[in-house]
Amino acid sequence: MLKKIIIILSVFPLVLGGCKSSHKLETASIIENVSVHKQDGQLVYTFYILTDSDTPSAVAINADSFEEAQSLAAEKFIPDMSLSKLELLLIEKEARSEVMPRDIEYISTQASFSPIARVAVCDNAVIEKMRQVSEAQNTIKNQIVLCKKNNPDVNTDYLSVFNSFSGGRDKTVTVPYIGGNGDFKVTTIEINK
Amino acid sequence: MRSEVRFSSKRLLLTLMLCACSVILLQNYSVPAELSFTLKLCSLLLGLAVCFICFLPAVLLKKRSGGDLLSLVSRRSMLEQRAVGVFYAVYFLYASLYFLTPYCDMFCKKYYPDASPCLVAFLLLACCVYAAFKGANAITRFGIFLFVLAMLTNILMFGGSVSSLRFDSGAWAIEGGADAFARGVNYFATPCFIAAIFVCLAGEARLFKLRHPLIAVALTGLKFALVLFFITFAVGEYAQRQEYQTFVLSRVAHFGSFAGVESFYMALCTMSVFMIISLLLCCLCKSFNKSGSLPFTASFAVAAFVLHFIAASNNSVKEILTDPLLLNIFSICASVVVPLLYYFRSSFERSRHA
Amino acid sequence: MNNSLSELKSILQTRFNNSADLSIRYISLRSDQKITAAVITIEGMVDKEELAQVAVNGLLAYDFKSSNANEAFNIMLYSVLASSDVTSFSGFADFSGIEQLIGYITSGFAVFAIDGVERMIAVGAQGYAFRSVSEPESEVVQRGAREGFSEPLRVNMSLIRRRIKDPDLVFEQVTAGEKSKTQIMLCYLQSAVSQKLLDKLRKRLDNCDLETVLASGYLTEYLEDPHTSRLFSGVGISERPDTVCGKLTEGRIAVIVDGTPAVIIVPRLFVEEFQGVDDYSNRTYYASFIRVLKYLSFFISIYLPALYTALAQFHPEYFPTWILIKTANSLSRTPLPVTLEALAVTFVYEIMKEAGLRIPKSLGHAVSIVGALVIGESAVSAGIISSSTLMVAATAAICSYVTSPLYPPVTVLRFGFIAVGGILGLWGIVLATALVLISLCSKTSLGVPYLSSISPFSLRAMRDVFVRSSWRSLSKHTIKVQNFAETEEK
Repeated sequence: MLKKIIIILSVFPLVLGGCKSSHKLETASIIENVSVHKQDGQLVYTFYILTDSDTPSAVAINADSFEEAQSLAAEKFIPDMSLSKLELLLIEKEARSEVMPRDIEYISTQASFSPIARVAVCDNAVIEKMRQVSEAQNTIKNQIVLCKKNNPDVNTDYLSVFNSFSGGRDKTVTVPYIGGNGDFKVTTIEINK
Repeated sequence: MRSEVRFSSKRLLLTLMLCACSVILLQNYSVPAELSFTLKLCSLLLGLAVCFICFLPAVLLKKRSGGDLLSLVSRRSMLEQRAVGVFYAVYFLYASLYFLTPYCDMFCKKYYPDASPCLVAFLLLACCVYAAFKGANAITRFGIFLFVLAMLTNILMFGGSVSSLRFDSGAWAIEGGADAFARGVNYFATPCFIAAIFVCLAGEARLFKLRHPLIAVALTGLKFALVLFFITFAVGEYAQRQEYQTFVLSRVAHFGSFAGVESFYMALCTMSVFMIISLLLCCLCKSFNKSGSLPFTASFAVAAFVLHFIAASNNSVKEILTDPLLLNIFSICASVVVPLLYYFRSSFERSRHA
Repeated sequence: MNNSLSELKSILQTRFNNSADLSIRYISLRSDQKITAAVITIEGMVDKEELAQVAVNGLLAYDFKSSNANEAFNIMLYSVLASSDVTSFSGFADFSGIEQLIGYITSGFAVFAIDGVERMIAVGAQGYAFRSVSEPESEVVQRGAREGFSEPLRVNMSLIRRRIKDPDLVFEQVTAGEKSKTQIMLCYLQSAVSQKLLDKLRKRLDNCDLETVLASGYLTEYLEDPHTSRLFSGVGISERPDTVCGKLTEGRIAVIVDGTPAVIIVPRLFVEEFQGVDDYSNRTYYASFIRVLKYLSFFISIYLPALYTALAQFHPEYFPTWILIKTANSLSRTPLPVTLEALAVTFVYEIMKEAGLRIPKSLGHAVSIVGALVIGESAVSAGIISSSTLMVAATAAICSYVTSPLYPPVTVLRFGFIAVGGILGLWGIVLATALVLISLCSKTSLGVPYLSSISPFSLRAMRDVFVRSSWRSLSKHTIKVQNFAETEEK
């Protein structure tokens, strides 16, 4: 009898309290990539939601920082947003000086942000292409992997970019740079800390 | 009909080693960041040396009587038994909360932000009551499965972080103040609590050899060293930006596009804390000679839950319950002072009779 | 007991409540003293033809001359019935007492009694109908023997004796069931078995207070260790003589129950659920592959639906990207939450499985079509359940048949883990796994830890756990099951 009472008492709060934390697969918005570019002097953060269609499902938000953009996106535009599967953070070269290292610093405090996400700088044409064609995202990621193979010293993921900014004796941080219109070419660029 | 269970000493020490390894899993800015890697290693060695020394009194008792402290105390007066029982009960309760509180905090912050820490604590304690009711023998058998999970998780965590290794020559320098070094030694001496558990369970272990606790402590040191190494050279500065640095290490680990090692880390943490609290509850009941009593075990679990609930809403209580210095002092009293008292007392009585 | 046959008849008719199958036939022996004998049988239990030809006719033909009743009995005992013709019978004994008489005739013996003599003779002339030795359907093998146990106790004993010709093999008779008085044989190898285990077993059989024991399954609850988990069985069942003989050499005890082909083997360990007869006939590498496959199937059948539910409900980021998109599309079209969907599909599958067991063979085809097309195809097309959930549930169901002795606990655990995974996510699955493991770690079978070989760990025993080592390696040391025992009872 005592065992049954204990089991019922254990199960009851289990049922009541367990369901709150669910992020259902069918309703979750998994963010695959994020890009940052400048438009009319304003930073625009674009969140690309994971989808299997040929046209990317993207939400563009005007904000002054990644923190503000993330907060606005979660509250108003993208319910049940998850950044755990983020694979690419693309920063337009004109927005680079404002974004790095401020946003890099903020992201380091967020446990939900994937530390192995790829980070790269690009030109405006690449951002435009990414907003039009889903396949562009995969091409960019493959190019970054190739860049790392050819240049082992380049920092391609968020973790190495952050650590390079934070410590080390070098005064610059080397990241991939993606240029070209449709025919993406990857080189490297040095950024002053 | 009660059964007299004696199980292999190797298995007991394996279980205790896994308990000790969980200390580094739940570290939260516990290792002073200002210490260089070399000094961290030195403080680790010193801390674990203290841990091994804490085993010696129980080993002496085991060699002399073949039993443990509690079997020695059971021959004394009722008042003395109660006093020792109360002391160890308070210690084991405190030690349970020392692991329960940070585990619930880590779990709710990193995995289920919307979950209530009290609900997590309640469910975990309910499971621990069941395991403690089954006895130390069953828990040590469970330890073999946990060992397999620990090996798998370590391989994934360390193997997945190899690609992120960046060696900075500055990390090998001797840097860091004496205060930081002392805090480091204090933190790395936290596994002393396994010596206190050994004090209570030594009588149930057969085929005991001195090298068993030495190997257990050495393997604990190896695990700690590997975690420190990968956090320093693979995660780097990023580790100091978030709580629970070993979680961050598991987050960083990846094999190509396969990530998600933090799920294994969560499983290992959960099972380790489950095993620790179960073992502590088991020892708690044994200190009152109430092994296998479900109501008795459940009552102390309720007490632990109430204290956890208080700690969740009161930061000063939380700080007391998670203070490594307090735990170490307590552990040394439980594993060294009290057993030595009884050892010398029995030696004195023996020489008097002789 | 009274010497008179008429009184004996009266007592028997009272005891058997004038049962129509009680047969008492009087015979007048050829003697100067007019001696009357009786043949007492139960109709349908004896081979009438053989009894008549060999025993009764022999009695009728014999000239007892001037012998009195007692002398006639001795002649019948030592001469007539003991002649070479009579050695074709299964048993032969002289006795006295009504209870023994009842015991003999209900076991298919024919009892000869003489008016005025207390003692009687029982002759084993069983002729009841029984199933012949055939391959057991529940334990089909590819390379092993095709013989399986049958219902009669003596037939089963002979199947074991043929395979182990060592005089070390012992059959010890026990009776269970106050009304059924079912005969049970404890079978063991004297040099291999542990006396402690044997004494425990005897004690538990003595404590069995059932009125009737009609199958070996009735006894399993009495043979399990008290206060241990009942989720997995600590008592093994086999219908194969080769399996039983193999277990006997490891120090186990077989319990053969009259009237049932399922033989109980104790103690039972968890790792034995994954060992099969074919493992020891096949090549080492293939046997090891099949062994690993069985373990994987076991874990897949329990954990796959639960992990799917937990990941879909709580941790979608753990899915690989290509599965994530397809599964999300699939689940978004269905009305039910993924947990309920998984539970419903698994439940419907169990209903279909039970129906398939009991349905007449002629209708089985129709049920398969209904199950596959209506429930599978149509339900997915209509968007009631998702194809991914159906696939996961079907995979788990198929995997559960790889280790069919574990089907009951696997089914219960599967439901439990789906519920826990759907409510608490991966964390719930981890906790539930810890609970199940602790429960199994504390389980014993006749005092031997149920998870022996793994926990407590034995390196030597690992030769035959996850892989099957070569016979040269296995034959070096036979591991006795009592070596794993840790607990000693006071």
